[in-house]
Amino acid sequence: MSQMLDPTLGLPVVYLVDDEDVVRDALAWLLRSRRLLSEGFGSAEAFWQHLQSRRGSGPDSAFPGAPACLVLDVRMPGTSGLELFERLVDAGLLPALPVIFLTGHGDVPTAVAAVKRGAFDFVEKPFSNNALVDRVEQALQQSAEELLRRRSQQAQSRRLSVLTERELEVMRLVVEGHPNKRIADELDISVRTVEVHRARVFEKMGVKSAVELANLLRDGGD
Amino acid sequence: MLLLVAMTLLLILTLRHESGRAQEQVERLATEAAEQVRASLLGAQQSLQSLALPTNAAPERWRAEADALLRRDGHALRIERRRADWQLVDAVDSPYGPPLFSQIVRADIDFDTATACRAALRLSRPTFSASYFVPRRDATGLEVLDLCLPVRTEGRDDGFLIATFSLPALLADALAADQIRHHELSFVEGDGARLARAGSSRGRGVYRADSLVELPGSTLRLRLDSQAGPPSLIPNVATALVLGLTATLFGLLLLLARDAGRRARAEAALAEALAFRKAMEDSLLTGLRARDLQGRITYVNPAFCAMVGFSAEALREAPQPPYWPPELVPVYEQRQAAQRQASDNASREGVETLFMRRNGERFPVMIYEAPLVDGQGRHTGWMSAVVDISAQRRAEELSRQQQERLQATARLATIGEMASLLSHELNQPLAAIASYATGSLNLMEQPDDATPAMVHEALQRIAQQAERAGRVIKSVHDFVRRREQLREALGVEQLIEAVLPLVRLQARKSGTQIDADLPQPAPRVLCDRTMVEQVLLNLARNAIQAMEQNADPASRVLRIRVRQTHERWVTFYVADTGPGIDRELGARLFTPFFTTRREGMGLGLSLCRTVVEQHGGAMDFDSPVPGTRHGTEFRFTLPSARPRTEAGADESAEPQTLTP
Repeated sequence: MSQMLDPTLGLPVVYLVDDEDVVRDALAWLLRSRRLLSEGFGSAEAFWQHLQSRRGSGPDSAFPGAPACLVLDVRMPGTSGLELFERLVDAGLLPALPVIFLTGHGDVPTAVAAVKRGAFDFVEKPFSNNALVDRVEQALQQSAEELLRRRSQQAQSRRLSVLTERELEVMRLVVEGHPNKRIADELDISVRTVEVHRARVFEKMGVKSAVELANLLRDGGD
Repeated sequence: MLLLVAMTLLLILTLRHESGRAQEQVERLATEAAEQVRASLLGAQQSLQSLALPTNAAPERWRAEADALLRRDGHALRIERRRADWQLVDAVDSPYGPPLFSQIVRADIDFDTATACRAALRLSRPTFSASYFVPRRDATGLEVLDLCLPVRTEGRDDGFLIATFSLPALLADALAADQIRHHELSFVEGDGARLARAGSSRGRGVYRADSLVELPGSTLRLRLDSQAGPPSLIPNVATALVLGLTATLFGLLLLLARDAGRRARAEAALAEALAFRKAMEDSLLTGLRARDLQGRITYVNPAFCAMVGFSAEALREAPQPPYWPPELVPVYEQRQAAQRQASDNASREGVETLFMRRNGERFPVMIYEAPLVDGQGRHTGWMSAVVDISAQRRAEELSRQQQERLQATARLATIGEMASLLSHELNQPLAAIASYATGSLNLMEQPDDATPAMVHEALQRIAQQAERAGRVIKSVHDFVRRREQLREALGVEQLIEAVLPLVRLQARKSGTQIDADLPQPAPRVLCDRTMVEQVLLNLARNAIQAMEQNADPASRVLRIRVRQTHERWVTFYVADTGPGIDRELGARLFTPFFTTRREGMGLGLSLCRTVVEQHGGAMDFDSPVPGTRHGTEFRFTLPSARPRTEAGADESAEPQTLTP
């Protein structure tokens, strides 16, 4: 199903953080059977270390570089899953790295609270295995979408950066739906000059109409 | 000391004065005696000179005159008349004694006389001779002295008149008779040899005085020796009395001083002992209280005051001990009266009783009482040591509660832990198995070249994990088997009593009443005590929790009942008055991990049934409780333990099916 994802985003990765080796290995194997790559960590701390090293390297330090999701056991010796989750929230990693909690018996209320704080979902043990993988794929989907959004946002801001001051002003008024005559009055320039600026803006932003431009700005702006 | 010195001084002065006076007297007497002797001799000389008158020259006349003179003067012993050529003319002897020269010839001892006469002639005056000794017939002798008187007739020397005087006689008349009695008078020579003596006794040589009797031609040394000894220490009664009194006084003073010293030392020791005792009493944590025979307080130490919160004065003045709790006063009064009667047999064992602090707080104390006996052996009251045991009681209570809580925890933990451990141990392999199985199925849907190898690997893992789960199950089985060996014959009441405190603890929170109903005598069962207690606890807890939904707390009644339902089986009933269990739920009730509670493990009932079945019994339930319209009743059976030998056979008995 990874085909559904935009291949330009790179190979999606599932991070497994669970202190029980047996369970982790079995889950990794299951993910593999659904053609998903996974990386296992025995403790929250180990994963955090890995994350730090990844973020620190390279000029484009945005993490994750490819669609990813984290399957996290709530109860673990040392740093608990919940603590790790808080750290991820604080680091602002969440939308691009959705978290699925694995909860044991009695941890449901905490898991629910975590979802309210932004976790993708929680799956109660014993879990129905393919249902978990389905949620993992949905999480990866979300991650991919987030990455795409970031990408277009970046592209848009790149495009906007090449507009001149006057062109930006003209664009703002165009998007607001004013006719050229009105724009010319507003900016105290000739209609002809407005038309030139308008043509430039359309060209630089890669659109053909004012409607298209408005859509572009709306999607990339929020 | 001063007194002693003064006394000694006085004594010395007195003695010196005494002896001085005695010496003075002796000297005076000696002079007197010497004078007397001299007077006697000079008187005799006068008489002799008259005899030498020429009128008396006729021989008869002279003899008569001489004889008369001798009779007059007792000292003269003989008068001689000699011619100038020393020829004896005539001699008259004293009529008072034998003739002087009867033993010895006069001419043999007239050397001194002749010497004196030559001197008298030369000097023409009467001259005395030196004294000399005249032996007498009776082997005694006599010291005598001659007076030589030259006789001149018509201007020419015409012989001598010689008188011989007895020295002892002179001495005897020298002093009055009463003086003679206490003194010795003697004439001595220069070397101290005694020539003649008089006096009734010998002198002691302490007080003596010499006096010279100077005579023409001769000198006699007269010695007076007092009979009195050295002045004695106690010269007279008065002094003796004073001395005695003084000595006694002094002795008394000494005794007094010593006594005072001893008294002071004793007082110091007593004060020290008192201070020590006071410090001891003040430092005690034990309260001390003394009461007289009427029960009035006569003494309390600070610890006691601190204990009850009243001052010592307040305690002493109160008509009745203020630390008696008012509600117990009659009891205490009775006890005190009884004690007064049985005054002797005070036991050393303490009595536990209840006192009240000033703030009204009651507290338990331990009293150890002993009779107070005064110096005369009279019983005057009671001394009590009072120990506040409230802290001890509190500690005991606390420790008991903790013990109970601990036991409760331990009991609940046994089953909880086992369930938790089981679920955890089994969860892991089962989760892994599920993952591998699902993964394999996934692979089989779209097989490719790698599929067989992957499925093979998955199946191997599945086998491993299944084996691991099997080991876990086996260990549980071993555990249960071990418990089987712990079975013992128990009275049902013991089981119920063991769990009741814990059940009450839980029931108290929701205000649930507990109604335990056991037949008398209680049947006995053969069981693993700990496990069965767990079953009872579990059922009771479920029941209490079920009833928490009841609106009316009064309707919350937990009923525990035990009946001997069969010769071999004892049935336990645990019933509640809760909403009951519907049929659908009831069907899954004993399924492991099924629970209606959010925090429940879902293992309680299934484990309970397992335990009961391990014992060969059975477990069942009814809802609503038979005969009513609400609640649930759980029942289980346990093999009854009979005192007979078949007790062992019961274990292998067929499980009993329940027929409600």
